[in-house]
Amino acid sequence: MLEFLQHTLNGLSVGSIYALVALGYTMVYGILGMINFAHSEIYMMGAFICYFAARFLHIETPHPLHFTLGILIACLGSALIGYLVETLAYKPLRNSPKMNILITAIGVSILFQFGGQIIFGADPKPFPSLIEDKKIFSLFESPVHLTDILIYVVSFISLIVLSFIIFKTQTGRAMRAVSTRPDMTPLMGINNNRIISTTFIIGSGLAGIAAVLVSIKYPRIDPMMGVKIGTASFVAAVFGGIGSLHGAVLGGFLLGVGESYLVGYGASTYRDALSFSILILVLLYKPTGLFGSTKKEKI
Amino acid sequence: MSMSSKNTYWIFIFVTIIVGICLNSFFNSYIQAVFVTFMVNAVMALSLNFITGLADQFSLGHAGLMAIGAYTSAVLNKEFFGDSWMMIPVGILAAGVVTSFIGYLISLPSFKLKGDYLAIVTLGTAEIVRVVLLNWNYVGGPRGMNGIKKFPEFLLSYGMIALILFLTFTIMYRLKTSWFGRNLWAINEDDIAAEVMGLDIAKTKRRAFVISSFFAGLGGGFYSHHLGYISPGSFGFIISVQILITAVLGGLGSLTGSILAAFILTFLPEALRSVQSGGLDLRMIIFPIILILMMILRPQGLFGRLELFETIELWFKNRKQVQSQ
Repeated sequence: MLEFLQHTLNGLSVGSIYALVALGYTMVYGILGMINFAHSEIYMMGAFICYFAARFLHIETPHPLHFTLGILIACLGSALIGYLVETLAYKPLRNSPKMNILITAIGVSILFQFGGQIIFGADPKPFPSLIEDKKIFSLFESPVHLTDILIYVVSFISLIVLSFIIFKTQTGRAMRAVSTRPDMTPLMGINNNRIISTTFIIGSGLAGIAAVLVSIKYPRIDPMMGVKIGTASFVAAVFGGIGSLHGAVLGGFLLGVGESYLVGYGASTYRDALSFSILILVLLYKPTGLFGSTKKEKI
Repeated sequence: MSMSSKNTYWIFIFVTIIVGICLNSFFNSYIQAVFVTFMVNAVMALSLNFITGLADQFSLGHAGLMAIGAYTSAVLNKEFFGDSWMMIPVGILAAGVVTSFIGYLISLPSFKLKGDYLAIVTLGTAEIVRVVLLNWNYVGGPRGMNGIKKFPEFLLSYGMIALILFLTFTIMYRLKTSWFGRNLWAINEDDIAAEVMGLDIAKTKRRAFVISSFFAGLGGGFYSHHLGYISPGSFGFIISVQILITAVLGGLGSLTGSILAAFILTFLPEALRSVQSGGLDLRMIIFPIILILMMILRPQGLFGRLELFETIELWFKNRKQVQSQ
């Protein structure tokens, strides 16, 4: 029972990270209909931006203020990188076939991975402990750490802010409009390009936040760190129904908990295969995911 | 210059022999190995081009197919053929058959999907293959397989891969210009219209994928005997991407383009080896930059859909910029 609870708690904290990253995938897919392969690398860049910012601003010691600052810097930094990637690589291809955009996204992703290895070095780097990790309380004898609570709290706040932006503001309304009828929105006075850029900025910012949270829990960062979380989060997004925000969050939590049980009860070496097996099964039997809607194809 | 004439085949065979003899007598073993690697890459790029270029079905899992071929051939040779190099061709052929069978199994569910989803499913399948190999002790698990039988002579090795490349190219070219190739073009252009015309598009795609897997298996089977060592790490996602980049650079749909691109992308990084320092793999910077610039500036690749000789013919005909699309 104790073990089960521990795995569940672990899974939920991993799951909230998946949810944050999956939102970036699902938002971009919803608005552009493309899989942003570079999203996992934007996540990686978030961790590195925070790492270097902490070193140069001398905020490496554990302090709540340093933690907040680190998160903000990573969020803004990844948002900027997301914006640059969108403007430089994806915008020139807005009207090309889907395959070309997908190939470009793969290219950007590899460029970041290996460019990162050249610039930062391929070896893992110790991430500064921005906040002291101590046991806060015990839940049925299983210890609950401060980092876990921070992961829950920060991702929860981010999700609330995101849903406020999407469902309550003018920009959010425009984003939903563009994802439904991109051909009609310019007639309503919406600048499609700007809305698409905004979507990239928000999604990338969330990835940056997720990166800092993960790096504080597992304080080793390297240029390939995005690959695993990226694929898992993408699976979470598809699982929940790609294009659906609620689906991405739910899919993230389900996948996180499922993986945690799988690792906890034996088959840890098959962990990487699990997400893809789930993905293939979902695509084959319910391609729209849990919350996805089907679009009718017009001939 | 018609490809179907017997003369062209003889020219091919003649050139291949001349190149082989030149390589054998004037170049060191390093250049020889790079040249053989180029031909393996060309087979893999052709295999991908057949499904992605002709039928527009995006596969990101060719490294997985290659892995199946490589492991099949290696295991067969080690366990059943008594480690004899005479039996390597049989092993490679068997690798092709096994891979095409597995390709068939993969294609059964996969081709219900299209576009990005198909790419993801093939990527996932390749990843599952890799994880299974990683956990399978019979084939060495993460350590991989060591001491796989190699050909004793360079010329034998060269002859084998030249034969595979020749067969791959000829069969694919003939299929491309046949009714089957036209069916694939129809799916590429407009799958709904093709279906309305009475074409069983799922079946056609499946067939194309099985053919593609067969040649990927041949390429992978040879690869294991070329290197003598394979591990699950040699068939990661990056290999699938490398194959894709080669096919895209040459032009999706252009078979000769794939071969030329494989040549460029194998020899260019080797030529640049001198300028790179430490353990950095410069290829992995050059490849994505080529890919991104290509997609923005010349999305159809070097030759687009046309073959090399068709491009030359066109060029001579109107002596102006060739627009392939």
